[in-house]
Amino acid sequence: MKLHKTIIVKSKSADFLNTVSMIPKRISEIRATSADPITAPDRFQVNAVAKALHPQKLSLRVRRIEEHSADVKSYYLTWENNVPTPYFRAGQYLTVQLKVGPSLLTRPYSLASSPSSALHGEYHIMVKRVPDGFASGYILDNWKVGERVTAFAPEGNFVYEPLRDAKTVVGLAGGSGITPFLSFARAIADGTEDFSLILLYGARTKDEIVFKAELDRIAKTCDKVKVVYVLSDAKNVGAGYEKGFIGADLIKKYAPENEPYSVFVCGPGAMYRFLGQELPKLGIADKYIRMEMSAGARKLADEPGYPTELLDKTFRLTVIDRGETTQIECKAEDSILCALEKAGIAVPARCRSGECGFCRSKLVCGEIFIPQGVDKRRMADVEFGYIHPCCTYPLSDITLKIN
Amino acid sequence: MAKKYDAIVIGAGNGGLTSATRLALNGKKTLLLEKHNLPGGFATSFVRGRFEFEASLHELCGIGPLINDNGSLAKIFKELGIYDRVEWISLPDAFRTMTLGDGDENFDYDMPIGKENFIARCEEYVPGSRAVCEEIFDLIEQINDGVNFLSSITDFKPGMIKDIFEKYTNFINLAGYSVNQVFDAMNVPKPIRDMFSGYWCYLGVNLDEMNAIHYFTMFHSYICEGATIPKKRSHGISCALLDRFTELGGEAWMNTKVEKILVKDKKAYGVKLESGEEILADYIVCNASPYNAFNKLIDRKEVPEYQLKNYNAKKLAAKGFAVFVGLNKSPEELGMNNHTYFIYDTADTKLQSDMCHSRETNGVQATVNLNAGDPDCSPEGTTVLYMTSLFLGDDAWNDVTPANYMKLKREFADKMIENFERGTGIQIRDSIEEIEIAAPVTYAHYTEAPNGTIYGYDASGTNSIVHRLMTSAMGEKIKNLYFAGGYTEQCIGFSPSYTTGNAAAQQILNDAAKEEANA
Repeated sequence: MKLHKTIIVKSKSADFLNTVSMIPKRISEIRATSADPITAPDRFQVNAVAKALHPQKLSLRVRRIEEHSADVKSYYLTWENNVPTPYFRAGQYLTVQLKVGPSLLTRPYSLASSPSSALHGEYHIMVKRVPDGFASGYILDNWKVGERVTAFAPEGNFVYEPLRDAKTVVGLAGGSGITPFLSFARAIADGTEDFSLILLYGARTKDEIVFKAELDRIAKTCDKVKVVYVLSDAKNVGAGYEKGFIGADLIKKYAPENEPYSVFVCGPGAMYRFLGQELPKLGIADKYIRMEMSAGARKLADEPGYPTELLDKTFRLTVIDRGETTQIECKAEDSILCALEKAGIAVPARCRSGECGFCRSKLVCGEIFIPQGVDKRRMADVEFGYIHPCCTYPLSDITLKIN
Repeated sequence: MAKKYDAIVIGAGNGGLTSATRLALNGKKTLLLEKHNLPGGFATSFVRGRFEFEASLHELCGIGPLINDNGSLAKIFKELGIYDRVEWISLPDAFRTMTLGDGDENFDYDMPIGKENFIARCEEYVPGSRAVCEEIFDLIEQINDGVNFLSSITDFKPGMIKDIFEKYTNFINLAGYSVNQVFDAMNVPKPIRDMFSGYWCYLGVNLDEMNAIHYFTMFHSYICEGATIPKKRSHGISCALLDRFTELGGEAWMNTKVEKILVKDKKAYGVKLESGEEILADYIVCNASPYNAFNKLIDRKEVPEYQLKNYNAKKLAAKGFAVFVGLNKSPEELGMNNHTYFIYDTADTKLQSDMCHSRETNGVQATVNLNAGDPDCSPEGTTVLYMTSLFLGDDAWNDVTPANYMKLKREFADKMIENFERGTGIQIRDSIEEIEIAAPVTYAHYTEAPNGTIYGYDASGTNSIVHRLMTSAMGEKIKNLYFAGGYTEQCIGFSPSYTTGNAAAQQILNDAAKEEANA
């Protein structure tokens, strides 16, 4: 056996006694301690803030409705008793839960309010009727003042981050994609956010521009916000307007010349497709381009790689939830999340665009299709067969473990 | 009628997952309950843009690439059948450690992995130091042997100390001393001490108060046995464990929160879910902290007085802070060569830990360049960096509110980036493509950790791992309730939390066998 030099801290016997005394020392310390309960873990400010920012669910009420047109309305939601609603970052979205007939839906809506509005308990969202839309039509036709709305605390990564983004943001808004930019503008105006926003707001006609009065007012009083309206269907436009579509030339025209700038985009699918060709012409690093994910329904027929011969098929979806099994139908053209919602099965979904991962479920068996660009799964989730049902489509009968 | 299982495991963190898998492997009908939609607890990852970030693991000890993957954790993973389901990457270097103080005493040492390499590097930095370094390693190895021997004993009795003393004199005699008391006794010169002290922030206890046995055992596992990372982040280990558990017939329910542990006459017999459903079991493993268990999950009158005193006598350990950065340049372009960077304000670990009490004075960071171990961990031409800091004491974030939260954590993240650039000379700020910041509030949110602690209970002084293990059998306990995870006897860390889960399951199997024999 190897001989070790004995290390002496005090003396050989004192060191040994020091060890022997460890147990009685610790035990007497324990016995001398109070047995009173430690009280609620939320006594720490850190835990209290975590709880305030991330309550499990919000039970809100519609306090005010503003009608921009028959198909576009603003809803102002407040918490019961007017207590502050969970604080958020400008650009984030609120997910609302809807019970429509037998279906149980969730839909994310970008918050249009400044985060500071949450401090006095108010959220502002805007809903625009989507042709054939399930949720938007329901909200526009049914939500009245006083309506109870179940929602989940704000989430989302479409936010301004000074440690990452340039000091100037060129915002590209299309249609109802204006809402996060209204939030940015309001937050800059009230001092919650600190950056310069040059907003290019695209619409077909003047009539389709929402929030013009407020945007103009902010632009007039706050030198960090500038707004340009870009009309695609107008023949003649006046000062403060541009004609056509938002593209590289227009961005260059308004972007700062000799300093970096970020481009933030939120709008309909057609806008993303067009910008996909245009943004590379700017020659700016990818880190300066942030796109809000689109939560809208996808046309599978247009997705590269999708076997279109399956489109009118309906598959069997076997759902395992805490050991219980149910069988429902899933149309080939519906996302698996969509099928679950139609069957009234509660699924913890938030973003509906593949990003947040709340709906992550285990694919026990079956073939699936995930459109390009929306697969945001972790590497190990891909390996071990987990999917995000919100952006996954069946190619065969499926067995899915949701909980 | 209520469902009935042999065992219910509350929480699918490292401890819970390991417990559940061990129980299922041994034929126990086991139900694993997790409030989140994914397993792992801290052992997880998240995706931002084109990057997948590791949520918590810096480097894993216990696999042991330098000892043919025969480390203590590798043995457990092999027994459970998950070792082969994870791709392991061994790390090329140990750490670069430095101080950023104002004085002339600043240092910057780049330390390699492997005992001989480490000694040779010390000799390079401090000619003539070979002898004392060999003496330290000799002690470290002797302590490690002692720990291995002790952990092979299943039923420790104080009377056994004498036998162990014969074989492991230093291990016994130094069991109650701190690292610095031992370094003082060995007359270790300051520069050498600084090189050996690099890892202290991994345990969050300054070396005046850090138990020598604990620290040297950890040091042995990293330097002598080597460190690894899982290719698909720690989430890959969590998924592999869950996969194996269900393959063995175990049932795992996600998004399922336990509201109560059912206890009657100081005996646990089931759980009540948030939905109101009650499920019964012979044995309960709790991967939630004793803090939450004794305050929220169990009726107060059922908690034995000794247990309350025992846990009230412990302080909460370090609170976590992390900055996750995806850079749009490669490590080569940035000049980033190391995997681990320890950046301290001062070499005096006691002074440093006092400075960790406030955001203003705290400048500690342990930063990982994930690409050093795994060049393919992010797209070509990019780098993943993950910077962690620690807050000690309970007050550093008392001024946080929902409205100032983002601002406060961004300010501290900004300081960490600045310190990293100043210390290493590597410029990263302009290359930040993605960034996420986690503060104590974040950890409190995801794990309900009291005050956002990431290290469980403080392991200093008389609450050291040695004190805990020596007294673990004492006092009245709730029958059939076992704890697993970072708040238990083995203290914090990835490897220990898996080990505690395995130990809890092993204890249940032993107790169940005894019950059967008595029946």
